[in-house]
Amino acid sequence: MRFFSFHLMPYPGLPADYDGPAWITCPNEFFDARLGGELYNRYIDELIYAEELGFDGVCVNEHHQNAYGIMPSPNLIASVLARQTERVRIAVVGNALPLYDPPTRVAEEFAMIDCISGGRLIAGMVVGGGPEYYSFSLNPAHARERFAEAHDLILKVWTEPGPFEFIGKHYKLRYVNSWPRPIQQPHPEIWIPGVGSLETLEFVARHRYAYMGIPYFHINVFERMFAMMRDACEKEGYVADPLQLGWLVPIFVGETDAEARRRYEEHFWYFVRRLLPGINISPPGYTSVRSSENIMKNAGTFALNLETWDQVVEGQYAIVGSPETVTELLSANVERLGVGNLLGLFQLGTLSAADTRRNLELFGTEVMPKLRAAFPGTQVPPASTPAPAAAPS
Amino acid sequence: MTTLVAGTIDTAVGSIEVHRGGRDGPAPMVYLHSAQGEGPGMALLEALADTRQVVAPLFPGFGASEGLALIDDIEDAAFHLLDVADRLGFARCDMVGSSLGGWMAAELAVRWPERVRRMVLVNPVGLYVEGAPITEIFGRAPSELADELFADRDYPIAQLMRAMEEMEADPSQIPFELVRPFLQSQAATAKVGWNPYLHDPKLQRRLSRITAPTLIVHARKDGIVSRAHAEAYASAIPDAKVADVDDAAHLAPLERPAEVAKLVLEHLGI
Repeated sequence: MRFFSFHLMPYPGLPADYDGPAWITCPNEFFDARLGGELYNRYIDELIYAEELGFDGVCVNEHHQNAYGIMPSPNLIASVLARQTERVRIAVVGNALPLYDPPTRVAEEFAMIDCISGGRLIAGMVVGGGPEYYSFSLNPAHARERFAEAHDLILKVWTEPGPFEFIGKHYKLRYVNSWPRPIQQPHPEIWIPGVGSLETLEFVARHRYAYMGIPYFHINVFERMFAMMRDACEKEGYVADPLQLGWLVPIFVGETDAEARRRYEEHFWYFVRRLLPGINISPPGYTSVRSSENIMKNAGTFALNLETWDQVVEGQYAIVGSPETVTELLSANVERLGVGNLLGLFQLGTLSAADTRRNLELFGTEVMPKLRAAFPGTQVPPASTPAPAAAPS
Repeated sequence: MTTLVAGTIDTAVGSIEVHRGGRDGPAPMVYLHSAQGEGPGMALLEALADTRQVVAPLFPGFGASEGLALIDDIEDAAFHLLDVADRLGFARCDMVGSSLGGWMAAELAVRWPERVRRMVLVNPVGLYVEGAPITEIFGRAPSELADELFADRDYPIAQLMRAMEEMEADPSQIPFELVRPFLQSQAATAKVGWNPYLHDPKLQRRLSRITAPTLIVHARKDGIVSRAHAEAYASAIPDAKVADVDDAAHLAPLERPAEVAKLVLEHLGI
């Protein structure tokens, strides 16, 4: 079992009277740059604190032109973390490959982070969210093709000697020859996040990558999704390793169940009611008709439809309670879902720095050790080399 | 009214659904539909088929038409339509295009002007006009879009769009059979029109190549393209004029078949 602390880096300062979407058209005059500066530094501190508490890794991700996550370049944050941490895995989950042109940029930046961190990068690759195809005016009907082609190119950059020529449908590059190359060989571990699209599951299974289930659905949806992933691996002729499966879920630990809910609930609702609206836009051609059908089936349980705390508890949209309750719920779900990676969101919405720190601390000291003991089977592979010391100035 | 018969033709991108009927006139008429995919059972086409041969092919991704994987942009669309005209055996034909179809007709006519005898573009997209942006059609609330497409709120498609929006509160309740064709045709429209948004930056300066006398029909209540677009086409095509239709919006060919048929027949002759 591996434990990761995942940060979305949300913007907590939307005006109270704004009820529009948090994506694409959310006016950027709401972004207060001084507050933004404080948030970036605070959120980075929260990620670094996870290393102190014994987490195995930290996760950042990429979203553009929105208040949900103010991290258009997760690689910038990851490079700070590469310097400011020593041991944890740094998972960038991921870079939205079709948004980089040419995508050799991703191969280069990921290799840089891997070098700076001493081989601790987990390279996440993602198609990009529906809203990003509006924000970038990028054709969603080409999203899957571009993703597949960019992926092939990046893997080739990392595994074959340059220079070479790459002539694809979307990228035509005459001299591919990335400096630097990653420390981890043949390449960093690769994670692909998804919401249950069949094409994505089959792609991950075929390449033996790891699949990260994106949260905000009823727990039953995760159960189906991971079962589909195991089926897809079986079709490829092997049994899925639990480390190929990751479950991302908001977690809040308090002294008691009642205290946890009291401290957490309003921040969860800010996240659901203020930051999620607009995230689920699906531009034309973005998913295949086959996958759209599957995604539509699950859409009714999407967190945006939540109205009451009872629904949150029933569907396990967030795991909230005393250390005992959280341990119990997480154990049961890790078992039920068969996942080897637990990705916790310990800060959500407007949750304050103090509450986030306390949450991380309680989880790290009172929950994580018990879960480690309960699921000893999957140990953390060590980073390939220790982080290099900073060069003398 | 002459009923059109559904069939298919083979093209380089795959099998294409076509609706055709009518009697031989001075030239066959090809109707190119909008992003709505209209054609089957359409009153406008049945009226036009009384006096001439009418053929309405459905673009790849619409109806039963295959081949969307082989269409990447508006240039592919133009070459596909040339192929369709070849397969239909039309050395020269009249073209009537609505919205997206109007744009495609213009793209065909600038490349192969000799293939088009006379042309009618109804509320065509295809041009970028400074200060007159084309309204966003992707990702919009269906009830809002319905008001921009139809002047008549009671038009059946407008009513259906509002009903769909009510069902969207729980998408798992929508019968997927209703959604599938919509998803496919939206993807087809995105392929040619996502970016640049529903226009081709090179089209404006190529319009002078068109030799067909051209009528641009503008519906006064169109919520998608303003009259400035009709004027931009008319000023760049050597022999062109604008006609207005009252009390109709973007999908005037569906909403006001009699008025549009009259304008089309007057312009094409017969």
